[in-house]
Amino acid sequence: MSDSQVKILDGNTFVVSGESGDIEASYNDPGGLFSYDTRFLSTWVLTVNGERLTPLSVDDMQYFETRFFLVPGTGTVYSDARLSVIRQRSLRNGFHEDLTIANYDRNPAVLTIRLEAGSDFADLFEVKDALQKRGSYSARAGDGRLVFAYRRESLSRSTEIRSSQPCAVDEHGLTFEITIEPHGTWKAGLDVNAAVLETSEEDEAEGPTLASQVRQQPKDMADDLARWLAEAPRLQSDWDPLEIIYRRSLIDLAALRFSPVGAGRGSFPAAGLPWFMAMFGRDSILTSLQVLPFKPELARTTLRELGRWQGLRVEDFREEEPGRILHELRYGEMTAFEERPHSPYYGSADATPLFVVLLDEYERWTGDSGLVRELEPEARAALNWIDEYADRQGNGYISYQRRNEETGLENQCWKDSWDSISYRDGTLPGFPRATCELQGYAYDAKMRGARLARLFWGDEAFAQTLERQAADLKRRFNEDFWIEDGEYFAIALDADGRKVDSLTSNIGHLLWSGIVNDDKARPIARHLISERLFSGWGVRTLAKGEGRYNPVGYHVGTIWPFDNSFIAWGLRRYAFTDEAAQIAAGIMEAAAFYTGRLPEAFGGFPRLMTKYPVEYPTACSPQAWSTGAPLLLLRTALGLEPTGNHLLVDPALPNIVGHLELLDIPGRWGRIDAYARGRVEVPPPITSIGHASDRPH
Amino acid sequence: MEPTDDAEKFFQQLGGQDREPLLAKVRGWVRFELLEPDRTDRWLVAVDRGAIAVSHSDGPAECTARLDRALFVQLCRGEGNMIAALLRGAVVCIGDVELLFAIARLFPAFAPERQPQRL
Repeated sequence: MSDSQVKILDGNTFVVSGESGDIEASYNDPGGLFSYDTRFLSTWVLTVNGERLTPLSVDDMQYFETRFFLVPGTGTVYSDARLSVIRQRSLRNGFHEDLTIANYDRNPAVLTIRLEAGSDFADLFEVKDALQKRGSYSARAGDGRLVFAYRRESLSRSTEIRSSQPCAVDEHGLTFEITIEPHGTWKAGLDVNAAVLETSEEDEAEGPTLASQVRQQPKDMADDLARWLAEAPRLQSDWDPLEIIYRRSLIDLAALRFSPVGAGRGSFPAAGLPWFMAMFGRDSILTSLQVLPFKPELARTTLRELGRWQGLRVEDFREEEPGRILHELRYGEMTAFEERPHSPYYGSADATPLFVVLLDEYERWTGDSGLVRELEPEARAALNWIDEYADRQGNGYISYQRRNEETGLENQCWKDSWDSISYRDGTLPGFPRATCELQGYAYDAKMRGARLARLFWGDEAFAQTLERQAADLKRRFNEDFWIEDGEYFAIALDADGRKVDSLTSNIGHLLWSGIVNDDKARPIARHLISERLFSGWGVRTLAKGEGRYNPVGYHVGTIWPFDNSFIAWGLRRYAFTDEAAQIAAGIMEAAAFYTGRLPEAFGGFPRLMTKYPVEYPTACSPQAWSTGAPLLLLRTALGLEPTGNHLLVDPALPNIVGHLELLDIPGRWGRIDAYARGRVEVPPPITSIGHASDRPH
Repeated sequence: MEPTDDAEKFFQQLGGQDREPLLAKVRGWVRFELLEPDRTDRWLVAVDRGAIAVSHSDGPAECTARLDRALFVQLCRGEGNMIAALLRGAVVCIGDVELLFAIARLFPAFAPERQPQRL
């Protein structure tokens, strides 16, 4: 996505437009008004006397509200500075746009204001893959409103546009013929209503239909955001960027909250804008883990919702299996007609063990044993899935190979691009693939499952079985995945049990899971901050020198902030506090360059070479687990660890921060404050927030 | 009484079992209205934390699901997916959709591979 795109969002409803506020979506352009995975506006272009407008500035007021300051003219010709146009749009309760035009001339302005509108009702998957629609379109103009509709069998979608001011309506837009007096202003409000399904009046009379429940509930979003911020722990620091990063993270996390129909009142983190405003097993779990010290309630909803959709049967199209936690749930047309398997799709090899990890970590922080008891069947089914279904080769390791050959995912781990798993020479292994971090997650799930079984489910025998299995898995893993000549763990075992031997960031996740033998931890920590993996900003997904290394390759050289946050957690688990602090410092300094909002990924170029972190070209932003990364790094830098009913604070703060206070950390202890001084020596900072404001964002 | 088709078989089986573990956390009344060319076949499913009672009662329901009988039979056999059908408007849901999501987990009811493994 280009830098000039402006986004506002509320749950899975969002608008992506250019800097003038116009939407002109082409077949594969992500612009538009989207809701429930469907594009409801693909054209929304404002002209004054036939002229397009030039943006003077954009005011990102809130994540659900933006204001565009415009003047007529396209920038290459003289702009008529006697007129100014303000478009203020919000997603408070459906899409609303206020147009304000001011005439600064001494003469009346006679104007034709035109708003071109159109809808292609594309499913997000069609936008991504440039597919053609199968249904029929219609447009109806009259009674001061314009209605676009789409129908395919029983599926219907409609977009209704209304104006608060009189206008002429045709099938392609609205026209206002107006005269504005000298120094006068003219205002019009435009409402766009997106309807996901059509229901009859008789149905509506019976009770709330799905269509009516999907419609946005009015709420005071500004109040809601203010409360969200007020309830979070307060951060104070003498390193100014940190407060900006912290606030940005909390606001973006609020924006990415998602509360779909049928999810009760709770909300959980959606994965990211624009493609991933949906429930994702992996992303929702990892983000919930990252933000536990700050917003533990997200974990609760994530666990409940994912548990509710847990797989029950063996089914190839959706890759469902008993106990499996979903990968992705979608609402669009292609899902509805089973042309895509997302109703929900289960093709993820890591979400299931991570579900158990989150349940245990959640209890450690909150003491909410009620949820642990409530979700006992789901957690047991998840643990059972690891042994019964995930061991596709019968060798005691989780591996993946898609069963849906047409639309299933090839790589069912977080590095899900086609070339992400490779040997040193760059060749790609066949399937199934047993990637190393999956084994770590399985080990951790068994160890944590044992704790839950012992303390909450009254099942000592099961606890011992799980611990025995975990110990055996750890022993085998440290033999089978270890690469002697390089002193690190292979990224995967291939279909023949051969080691896929490239050096990758995945080894950091192994520390987080605790599967690494103590004698192997030091070489792993050394690799993570070596010149081959560590750029100065963070740990690369693939080490320099490997066959497929490319500093702007999606999973083969870029740096992922979320990845680094878990690596830092892993380093702390094995008491490599200085190394953890060094990674925290690098990522936090990178965040300062992005005015507090970390992208999904940035380039793996050495820091000394580029001086600033080069953004990955099509990175998704904001993205939930990038938003969560600074929060998890705060946890690791402060060394926050729940111990019984207490919170242990054991800081290892990089010296770019002199002083840090995090006040009112919620948990089973009530609220606790943490204080730290930056004592860990890291290379001196070469950036500040001031630099970042010079760059577009 | 012998069921006349898979729809009837589904409701008979559902009502005939002591407890449905998949509905252990569910409480509420769901009405299914199966549309036929000349009539509507109504079933009321009362769920109380896994205990299930099925009847033709006209009593109140918190959720009504309205769909063609032919589609319902397909869903019972696993020849379609309830969630997808709901998303494309082939199932009209009025009221508490969470209840319908919960019951949707029982489909397909007769597919041989169904293994509701809850250890």
